[in-house]
Formats: sequence, structure tokens, C-alpha cells
Amino acid sequence: MNAKNEKGKDPGATVETVVVMRLYIADNAPNSARAVANLEVICKEYLGSKFRLEVIDVLEYPQRALADGIVVTPSLTKVSPSPVARIVGNLSDKSSVLHALGIKESLQ
Amino acid sequence: MSSNPALERDPRRADAVAGTVSRILRLVKSGPELRAVESGEIDAVMDPETGSAVLLPEAQTALREDKARARSLLALCADWFWEQDEFYRFVSHTGAASGGSGIYDESIIGKTHRDPPFDAMSEADWETHRRLLEWRANFRDLELRCTDRAGQARWVSISGEPIFDEQDQFKGYRGTARDITLRKQSEALGQKPTRLARDTLDALGVEVCVLDSAGTVVMANRPSLAFAAGARGIGAKVPEGDNYLEACDKARGNERADGAAIAAGIRQVIARESPLFHHEYVCNSPSGRCWINLTVTPFPGDGASRVVVSRENITERKRMEISGSGAGRKDEEPPPGSGSKVAKGAPIANKLLAALPRKEYQKLVGGFEEVTLTYGEILYEPGDPIRHVYFPNDALVSLLTTVEGHQALEVGLAGREGMVGISAALGVEVASVRALVQATGTALKMNAVRFRKEFRKSLPLQSELHRFINAKLAQARQTAACNRFHVVEARLARWLLMTRDRLRSDQFLLTQDFLADMLGVRRVGVSLAAGALQKRKLIGYSRGKIRILDRKGLEAASCSCYKFVKALL
Repeated sequence: MNAKNEKGKDPGATVETVVVMRLYIADNAPNSARAVANLEVICKEYLGSKFRLEVIDVLEYPQRALADGIVVTPSLTKVSPSPVARIVGNLSDKSSVLHALGIKESLQ
Repeated sequence: MSSNPALERDPRRADAVAGTVSRILRLVKSGPELRAVESGEIDAVMDPETGSAVLLPEAQTALREDKARARSLLALCADWFWEQDEFYRFVSHTGAASGGSGIYDESIIGKTHRDPPFDAMSEADWETHRRLLEWRANFRDLELRCTDRAGQARWVSISGEPIFDEQDQFKGYRGTARDITLRKQSEALGQKPTRLARDTLDALGVEVCVLDSAGTVVMANRPSLAFAAGARGIGAKVPEGDNYLEACDKARGNERADGAAIAAGIRQVIARESPLFHHEYVCNSPSGRCWINLTVTPFPGDGASRVVVSRENITERKRMEISGSGAGRKDEEPPPGSGSKVAKGAPIANKLLAALPRKEYQKLVGGFEEVTLTYGEILYEPGDPIRHVYFPNDALVSLLTTVEGHQALEVGLAGREGMVGISAALGVEVASVRALVQATGTALKMNAVRFRKEFRKSLPLQSELHRFINAKLAQARQTAACNRFHVVEARLARWLLMTRDRLRSDQFLLTQDFLADMLGVRRVGVSLAAGALQKRKLIGYSRGKIRILDRKGLEAASCSCYKFVKALL
């Protein structure tokens, strides 16, 4: 991720890597709200603007969650870059979120 | 998950919770998900069989509370919640407030904010609002008038935001509405003090106006008619938008000096060179002399150099002051614009006074005040109290009788040979004729109270006045006959000669209208008569200016009444 960081400093040099994620939540239920807040903090700190996040409310769109193989909410899926990774829960454990997103905390 | 004590206390809820939990545990088999469920980090579990999400009991409770909170907050800030389709037609409504005034009810479904019960927006307002809607913009606090079920006018304030579906297709608007009728009503009440202030200004017996720095009237009150009738002279009734300073500058005749002084004073206050300007002046009105007290002050709390001008009619007060400061009182202040005390040794121009023994005259002179009587000024109207008597020096005063439905008719003429206010000597305190100044000049004026006192004391004055009254009676009798029998031409000649004798001038200013009044004939009659005299080269007449060219000829043209009356005096 050091290389990615360098790209961030010189965005014109190579194509940026953008992390694409989907967060499945249940409306404004406590863990869902917490997960959104936790993820926002992590993205701001580690990804700046280099991420795309789609938030899906499973109460409104249950079929999407089922199609994506979601079992519980909140769930965070990293769609790209590969490999696809998934983490469940309210995302309060920052290191496991970073690990799932493929970001090495120590190098930041 | 069973940590919520509230759930444990309710056995039925507890059963339901237990059911849900076992269902969840059935759905969640694998490690990390199960661990997350057990550590309480999960809100919902997907159930592939039903194709829906199953909320965990705690999430259920939290969401329910959330909704209740949102509802109560909504109720705080809105009375209704509404939703519209893509054509801005209402598809749903929720009354957050209990009761309400029945604006958003079943009947609005399918209608828009332009339909009843909403009053039609103006085209311009609707155009602005429609553009916002087409931009799919949020709008806030749009105020609409409407009529509730009871037929009462109400106001609502609406706010809305656009709704989009998953494919970002516009689906309509949703928003809130608040009943703001009370606020609107109190706003309307708030405007009342302004109106109240205006009405109060109008009710005052004072003319008040506000001038801007250029002297233009920006606000003028409309004092009651009763006052306006008596309000004449400089600065009276200058309408809003007109220039007050110009009106002052336009003052002519003996008002010119006052006009100039007022304009200068106003300019000083506008320039903030002076904090106050005060001017008292006299003007003539149909009901006699009129005293005006004019005050100019800076407009308060105002950066711009505006000023407030107020004109107060102080005639009543002045008259009372003057009559109150009766005979012998030395502190009587002459009204502004009028004359001065008369020196004892001054020559006596008035023949009546000149005929008195010197000693008698000296007794009177302390009560005299020399004043200037101005052409057109009315000294009394029939019914007016006689507060002063006048002994003209070179002024000429016509005494006119008015008969209902007819123009005035001259019944007497008082100049240097006589006096005005003779009734006072006869103990009558009310004028029976109109005394109109016909030629500007000076006169000696005396308070009527003092005059009566002097009259009672002085035999020579009595005999002189008796002689005068007798002559006046004879003159009146003669005039009555003359008016009835003699032709206008002869009467005009007589009248011009009488005027000449009193003015001691062959030239004077008279309009035909005035002459018509004097002779009690129509204007055309005066025109013909004057034309005839002019043709005979006895007089010259142009633009109200009369010149006697041939006095002897005019005497020959006049009726015998002239000589008769002249001999009397």
C-alpha cells in the first residue's frame, strides 16, 4: 500500500486505485448506524476520496442482499480491487476493517 | 440479546423474542456471522425462504423508538406530512397534529397545491415555484393561503423535497406543512400600529409633514376638515410629493417675507445648523385673520437630513390673548405682522379722530395700534364678535351684506372719513356685515372693550360718532334707493368717486368680479358700464387697474347720490 500512497501524492502519474465497497444495513438500527459512522471515519482517514461506497438498506432491498449472498447486517463487502473481502458486524474493530479492505495500518 | 430487561418482563414479548432468536440461529450457521450475532453487533438476518430481512429484537425496538422520535419531532415542526406524485398531485397525507384545521385531508388526494382548498397563487408566484419544482429543488417555507372546511381563511407554510426511485427517476415531492394562520394574523396586527399612528396624525388639529433633504413632502397628514378650512397661508396643505420650500418661495404679497423666513428656517434645520425653527405668522382666511404657529424639527433617529414641519392654527388662542388683555393693559403684545403703538404727537390721518378735540384724542391714543390692512383681508364676517374697531388712515374697507342665495352687496364704505366696527359704539358686539379690506393701507386699531369704555366716558367722541352714524344711516338709505333706481353706469361712477375720495388717488386696482359685488350686479353689467365710461374717456380700465381720467366728467356721469353722501360727511 506504500506504492498506492505514493500514487496518491502524484495522482497524474498512474491510474488511481479506487476501493469499491458495499455496506448492507438495516435502516437506522443501532449497529447499522454505528457501522456507517465507523466506516466513514476509516474511509476519511485512510482512503481520502479514493473510494466508492454504496449503502444498501436490506429492509428496503432485501433481494439485493440475498443476491449478494449477505446473511447478516451490517456487512461490508469490498468489491474491488480483488480479492473480494467481507466483514460483518458494526465495524468497531478498526484493524479487522483495514485488513478486510487490504490497507496496512502500520504503513499509514 | 435477552439483555433487555423490558423484554424479559413481558412474557409474550419474551416468547416472540425467543422465537426470533431460534430462527436467527437457524439461519446463521457459519463462524464470523454467528460470533457477530452473539456479540450483539448484528441488526438483521436475511431469510432466503421469505426473501426478507428479519430484524433482531433489539434492532426492532430501536427502530420503533426511532420512528416514534421522528414522528414526535415532525409533529413539533410540522402539522402535516404530504407526498405528491410526479405531477405534483397529492398521493398521501398525514396529520401530525391532532385536530388541525382540516387542510390536508382525504379531499386533497389527486389535487395539487394550486387547487382548492388552496387559494390560487398569482401567475408570477406559481411560475417561480414551478421552476423550482422542475429543477427538482428543495423548497422551504412557501406560504399559501387556503380555506378550511369551516370556510375560514388560513395560511400554511410548506416545505418539500423531491423523491427519486432506485433508477434516479423522479417520483414526486414530499414535504411538510405548518399552519401559520396565527402568525399571519399577528403579523397583520403588527401592522396596525402603523395605521393607528397615521390615523392619530390625521385626527390631530395640527398639519404635520415630513420633508426630505430637498424639501419634498414625503409624508403629510390629513387633518380634519374642520381644521383644514381654517388653515390657509404659507405651507398649507402642500401634498405629498410636492416641494415645501418651493411653496414657501411662491408666497406673494405680504406673505412673501414670512415665506422666505420659513424656507430659510427649514433649510437650516435640514442642514442641522439649527435644532429647531419656530415661526408665527398671520394669514387671511374667509373667517378672518388666522394665526399659524409653524415648528420645524429634525426627523428623529434618522441619518438622512429629513425634517418634520408642523403647522398649528393658534387663532383661537391669539384672539383670546388679545381680547383677554383688555383695555388699559400695557402688556398687550401686538400680533405678529401687525403694527405698533401710536405716538401721541403723530399726525392724525383719520378725519373722525382728527375732528376730536386734541385732549380727547390724547386719551384714546394709548389704546391705538397702527396696523396694515391688506387688500382682500376680512375684518369681520356677519356673526363674528367685534373684537376690534378700526379707524382707517389710508385703508379702505367695504361693508357687504350677504343675502342667502345671492352675491354680496356693498352697503357701506369706510375709509379715512370714518371707522369700522361702529356697532361696538351702539353696544352691539356682533358684526352684522362683512368688513372686507378693499385697498391696502394703515388703520388705527383699538380693542372693542376699551373702545366702548372710552366711548362712554368721552362726550366729544360720542357726538362725533353720533354725527358719523347719522351720516352712515343716511348713506345707507341713499344707497338702498340708488341701488334700486339708478343705472349701473351712474352707480359705478359714484362708487369710483367715493373710492377715490377715500384713497385720495386717481388710480386703484379692482377686478370686475369685485365691482360686481360692490354694485350688486352681474359681471357683464360691470363690463358694460365700465366700457361706457371708458368710451367717454372718463376712466381708463385694463386688467383690473382703474384710472380716473376726468373727475369732473365722472361726477357729471354719477347719480346725485354721490353729492348727497359727500355732503353728509
